[in-house]
Amino acid sequence: MKTLRRVFFRWEWLVIGLTVLVYLFFQAKLGDSYTVLKLLDQTRVYVVDIGFMAIGTMMVLILGDIDISVGSTAALSTTVMGVAYNAGEGVPFWAAIALALLTGILCGLVNGLLVVKFKELFPMIITLSTLTIYRGIAYIILKDGSAGGFPGWFSKTLGYGRVLGGVPVMLLCLLAVMPLFYVLLHHTVFGRRLFATGTNITTARYSGIRTDRIKVVVFTINGLLAAVGGVMLLSRTGSVKYNIANGYEMQAIAVAVLSGASTSGGKGSVVGVLLSLILLTCLKNGLMIAYNDSFILNLAIGVLLIGMVLFPNIYQALRQRRQVKQQQLLSLHS
Amino acid sequence: MKKERHLQASLTALFSRHREIGLLLILIVLWGVVGLRNPLFLSGDKILFILKDTAPLFVLAAGMMCVLLVGSIDISITGIMALSAMIAAMVMRNSLVVTDTTVITDGVETVVRTKTGLPLMLIVLIAMGIGGLCGAANGAIIAYGKVLPVVTTLGMQYILYGFSHVVSSGQAVYKKDMTDAFVDFTRVDILGINAQTWIMLFCLLLMFLFATYFRAGRHMYAVGSNREAAEMRGINANRTILLAHIIMGVLAGLAGVLFGSHDTKITQDLKMGYEMYVIAACVIGGVSVTGGVGKITAVLLGALVIGVINNGLPMMRLTGDAEFWKKLIQGLLILIAVISNVVLRRMTVRRELKGRKI
Repeated sequence: MKTLRRVFFRWEWLVIGLTVLVYLFFQAKLGDSYTVLKLLDQTRVYVVDIGFMAIGTMMVLILGDIDISVGSTAALSTTVMGVAYNAGEGVPFWAAIALALLTGILCGLVNGLLVVKFKELFPMIITLSTLTIYRGIAYIILKDGSAGGFPGWFSKTLGYGRVLGGVPVMLLCLLAVMPLFYVLLHHTVFGRRLFATGTNITTARYSGIRTDRIKVVVFTINGLLAAVGGVMLLSRTGSVKYNIANGYEMQAIAVAVLSGASTSGGKGSVVGVLLSLILLTCLKNGLMIAYNDSFILNLAIGVLLIGMVLFPNIYQALRQRRQVKQQQLLSLHS
Repeated sequence: MKKERHLQASLTALFSRHREIGLLLILIVLWGVVGLRNPLFLSGDKILFILKDTAPLFVLAAGMMCVLLVGSIDISITGIMALSAMIAAMVMRNSLVVTDTTVITDGVETVVRTKTGLPLMLIVLIAMGIGGLCGAANGAIIAYGKVLPVVTTLGMQYILYGFSHVVSSGQAVYKKDMTDAFVDFTRVDILGINAQTWIMLFCLLLMFLFATYFRAGRHMYAVGSNREAAEMRGINANRTILLAHIIMGVLAGLAGVLFGSHDTKITQDLKMGYEMYVIAACVIGGVSVTGGVGKITAVLLGALVIGVINNGLPMMRLTGDAEFWKKLIQGLLILIAVISNVVLRRMTVRRELKGRKI
C-alpha cells in the first residue's frame, strides 16, 4: 500500500494528469486547430529556448540558490555572437557560436564565484545586479541597433526546420540534451553531491563534499545553458537587439518550479522539466488560439504555478490533521 | 599608541552599531562625484527633486523591509501597484464630472475645464485597500499555505498583471480621465517641499515607530531571526507574516497611485521590473534577505543611493556613446555598494575578534 502510494502520489503524475485535462479541454473547445502535430510544431515558439534555461535554473534551484540573470546572460551571449559574426564579415559562424557559448560560461562563472565568495549575500541579490550588468554590457555593444545577417541555414534548419514529418529540429536538440542531464543529475556522483548540497549544505560539507566547487560548476553550467537557449531563440528571431530574452528568467523559474523543484533546495528532476514543458505547450498554445492574449496566458500560468504548489501542501496538511485526530482517538480509547 | 587603538576600537564599534554611517559616506561620495562633474547637482532644488523622485521607491522599500524582516520576499509589488492603481483609476473615471466654464478676461474668452469626481482621499484609500487585499492573498498563501515566497509572489505577479489587464480591458488611463485633484496632488508643494516627499517622511516616521515601539513590529524581527524561538514565546508567526505582506500591499497601492499621478498615465503593466530597484534599495540599506535584520533609516539611505544613481547618471553630461553605459554603471554600483557593505562588516567582525584576543 505504502509503495503504491509512493508510486502514484508523485509530482510527475500530477503534472501528467493536468496535461491530459488541459489537452482534452482545448481539444473539445478548439477541435482541428489543436492537434498533437500542431502542438509539436509550436514547441519551437513556446518551450525550446526556455527549456534549456529551465534545466539550468532547475539545477540552481536544487542547490537552494536562485539565478535571475539567465535572460541577461542569453542576451549578452547572443549579442557577442551577432557582433562577432557581423553578417559574414567577422569570424566564421562556428566560431561565433563558440564565442556565444563561451560568453555564457563566463557569465555563469562570474555569478558562481560571486555567490561563493560573498556568502552573506543572497544569490538573488548577486544575480539581480549581474542581470543589470550583463544586459548593460549588451546595451553598450549594440546600442540601439541590432546585429544579425546569419547564414540562411541557421534559421531555416535550426529555427524553422522540421524532420520526420513535423518534428522541429530545435525540439530534437532539446530532447538530445535532456538525457545527458538526466544521467548527470540522477546517475552520477556529481548529481548525488549536487542534491546533497542542496538538501543540507552543512552536512554535505562535513561529509567531504566541496560545496563551493559544486556551486560554481552548477552556476557555470547554468550560464552555458542560458547561452544555448539564447542561440535557439536567435535562430528563430534572426537578429539580436539588447532587449532580447527580457524576462525569460521568470519563465525559466516558473517551468523549474512546475517541474517539482523547490526554491529551498534539494528537489528537482529532469523528467519533471520535460513534463512541465509539455504541460506549458498544451496550455499556452490552447490559450493563445482561444484568446490570443498574452496577459490571459500569464494569468493562467500564475494560477497554475501557485495552485500546483499549494494543492499538495493543503493535501498534506489535511492528511496530517486527520492522522493527529486518529491518534487522539486511539489514545482516548486506550 | 594605546589611545590610538582605543580610538580605532570605538570607531569600529560606531560603524558596526550604526551601519547608516557607512551608507551615508557612500551617498556623500556618490553625490560628490556627480557634483564635481556637474555643480548643478549640488543645488538645493536638485536635492529636493531627488528626494521627491525617491519617495515612491522609499514607500515601496519600507514595505519590502517588513516583508524581508519576516524572512519572506515579494516580487509581485509591481503587479499589486498596477492592479490597485488601475482599479482606483477605473473608479475615478466612472465618477468623473467634466465642467467647462468660460472665463472672459480682457475681452478674450478662455475655456477652463475642471474635472471633479470622487474625493482624492477616497481614491487613494481604494488603491491602498486593493493593495492590502493583494498583500493579504500573498501573505495567506505563504503563511498558511506554506508555499515558498519566491514562488507565490512570482505566480502572483503573473496573476495580478492579468487581472489588471482584464479590469482595464487593455487600455491605459490618461490625464483626461483623471480628476484635477488626482493629477495635482503629487505636484503640490507644502512649505516648499513636494507632497511626495512629505508622504515619504510620514512613512518613515510611521514605520520607524511601528518597527521600534509596537509589539507587532518587534514580532517581525523575532519571527525573522528565529521562527521557532518566536513561536515558543507565543508569537503567532503566521499572523506576523500575513501582517507584513498586508503592509507591503497597502504601501504598494499607495506607491501605485503616486506613480500614476506623477506620470499622469496608468498602464496595465505599470513600472514592470521596478521590484528589482526596491529589493536593491533594501539590500543596500543593510536589510538581510534571510530575515530579522533591518532598519528603516538605513533603508531610506539605500533608497536615496538608488535615487542618486538614477538621477545622477543623466547629469554626468555623458555624451555620445557614454549614454549607453548607464545601465552597466547602475548594475556595477549596486554590486559595489552591496559588496562593500559585506566587506565592511567582515572587517569590523575581524577587528572585534582581534580585540577580544587581547
